[in-house]
Amino acid sequence: MNWIKLERLLLKALPARAICQAPALDHAQLHECALSVAAGLQARGINRLAVQLEDAADLAIALLGAWRAGVSVLLPSDLQPQTRQRWAGEVDLWLTDQPDDAQLNDFQQPPLSGAELDLDQCRLSLCTSGSSGEPKRIDKTLRQLANEVEALEQLWGTGLGEACIIGSVATQHIYGLLFRVLWPLCAGRPIVRRQLAFAEDLQRASREHPAFAWVASPALLKRMGDNLDWPAMSAVRRVFSSGGALPAEAAQRLKQRLQQWPTEILGSSETGGIAWRQGEPLWQPFAGVELSQDSDGALLVASPYLPVGRIEHTADAARIAADGRFELLGRLDRIVKLEEKRVSLPMLEQALVTHDWVAEARLGVVQENRASLGALLVLSESGLFALREHGRRSLTETLRQHLREHCEALALPRRWRLVRQLPLNSQGKLPQADIEALLIGDRPKAPEVLAQAQTDGEWHLQLNVPPDLAYFSGHFPKAPVLPGVVQVEWALNLGRQLLNLTGAFAGMEVLKFQQLVRPGDEIQLHLRFDAERGKLYFAYRNATATCSSGRILLGAPHA
Amino acid sequence: MSELNTASLVRDIKLLIIDALGLEDIGPDDIGDEQTLFGEGLGLDSVDALELGLAIQKKYGIKIDADAKDTRNHFTSVASLAAFVTAKQPA
Repeated sequence: MNWIKLERLLLKALPARAICQAPALDHAQLHECALSVAAGLQARGINRLAVQLEDAADLAIALLGAWRAGVSVLLPSDLQPQTRQRWAGEVDLWLTDQPDDAQLNDFQQPPLSGAELDLDQCRLSLCTSGSSGEPKRIDKTLRQLANEVEALEQLWGTGLGEACIIGSVATQHIYGLLFRVLWPLCAGRPIVRRQLAFAEDLQRASREHPAFAWVASPALLKRMGDNLDWPAMSAVRRVFSSGGALPAEAAQRLKQRLQQWPTEILGSSETGGIAWRQGEPLWQPFAGVELSQDSDGALLVASPYLPVGRIEHTADAARIAADGRFELLGRLDRIVKLEEKRVSLPMLEQALVTHDWVAEARLGVVQENRASLGALLVLSESGLFALREHGRRSLTETLRQHLREHCEALALPRRWRLVRQLPLNSQGKLPQADIEALLIGDRPKAPEVLAQAQTDGEWHLQLNVPPDLAYFSGHFPKAPVLPGVVQVEWALNLGRQLLNLTGAFAGMEVLKFQQLVRPGDEIQLHLRFDAERGKLYFAYRNATATCSSGRILLGAPHA
Repeated sequence: MSELNTASLVRDIKLLIIDALGLEDIGPDDIGDEQTLFGEGLGLDSVDALELGLAIQKKYGIKIDADAKDTRNHFTSVASLAAFVTAKQPA
């Protein structure tokens, strides 16, 4: 491989160096486009540019062009009106994929000459949501980014060889930007332009390349199913994971399927890369990263990926081993005080997950008359079974008993919310404020519609019966079943929505309840409206049999 | 006080406990009249006792005598709380 330093990427055009396909782009074209953008920005007197481009190659052109023109770049986290307003005073021009903003092909000027970029004058700002949710700007110099990509190449360059870099994460954040754009550009590795958020797309792209590597996140990696061609995928040179914690179970499954452990990267927009690990509990700091701890045990980071002399305080508690590797002990900002007692939420979450019934757990503080803990749970198969057989109270009481071995009574969760999966945001994270909003909110009363389709006037819906449905507490709390009256109500509500029915409820006919519907069930609902007779036909089915059916009579439509 | 009134007071106090302490998945019938409320038993803690003390005083317009030694004994069970409220309430 022929490494070109980040600051020398615009020095001379290299037509033989491919960058990507669809459409094809080589280094000479990238060189020319970037220098045209540079000329255009200069001509317009732009000093500060906000960039959001979905295409990784376009982003590379915009970044290099801006730097060549001495323009500082901001990568906003999104393009919501509020975000735009937030940065309006710090940005001269927005270069994005949206029609009202400047586009990359607006810059068709005769290109500036090739030149070396100034490592300390070229600047990039990343945006992240601080722990309070308030967006935060993090400024980096080209030198910091250059140091980081060189360290990555030192570690893994040889093994990756000419692998095409395929990513499931956005390039707008530090991880995607380094791994999908800047590092491959310097290394001369081909890239896939688009972010591929689905495993099937990742597989299709992988098949098109003799060698490939994945830049992925836990959100995708833990949801990769048996539908993939794992023998073919096991040719992957390396699987990177970052952005959040990869569950041990997901890492283990990848190891079984791919015969290699995923390479997990620990870092943040603020710190840059801190450490990595591959199938080991301990994290190995990147070259040049110096770690220390404050009096609370929080990890402090100094590194060549930070401004000289800067020590970045993380909120992660850690135990540093004699050989310099370290273990993460959970986030310190997730240690809360309840009635003057300190409680570590990650510690209790880990304790919950050791119970057979719990697949994933997140805790938050519920502030009512008193502050207490609430738990957001994804139940395992056996947990769902326990819920169905013995009811919610028995389930939560058993889990409280289990936790008693780990904490004082005061910290035992009092509020429980059972969900099918954790509602992670697009960055694969679940902010504490979201957890707490869910805990304080009401339990669901409607089914989750997973899919819906219409054929010949009949609607077919795939429904999930929320494990935590509010109705399960009133009816047979020790053996929760979906009440018939709720089934009728759901059919009527969904029928009204999908078929635009306006008639008032006027009665029911031939109601039959044949099979029980229980928490967590996936069922189908079939809906058909006989307009002549004013009857809505409904039938719920599970995988093997009809659960219930009937006709709902509707009166004349309201005027 | 008649038996009927006692039964309704006991039920009211159970509802008050559930409501004031935000207990989930527990109905009045799940709390025994004589069941120990704190520590083992229903599993309430000292902060709940404080909350419950406030709620009882507010709802029934009574005062817990801060100087009496045995005040907290009234909080042992729903039955003892009912007896306490009955005794304190103006006739």
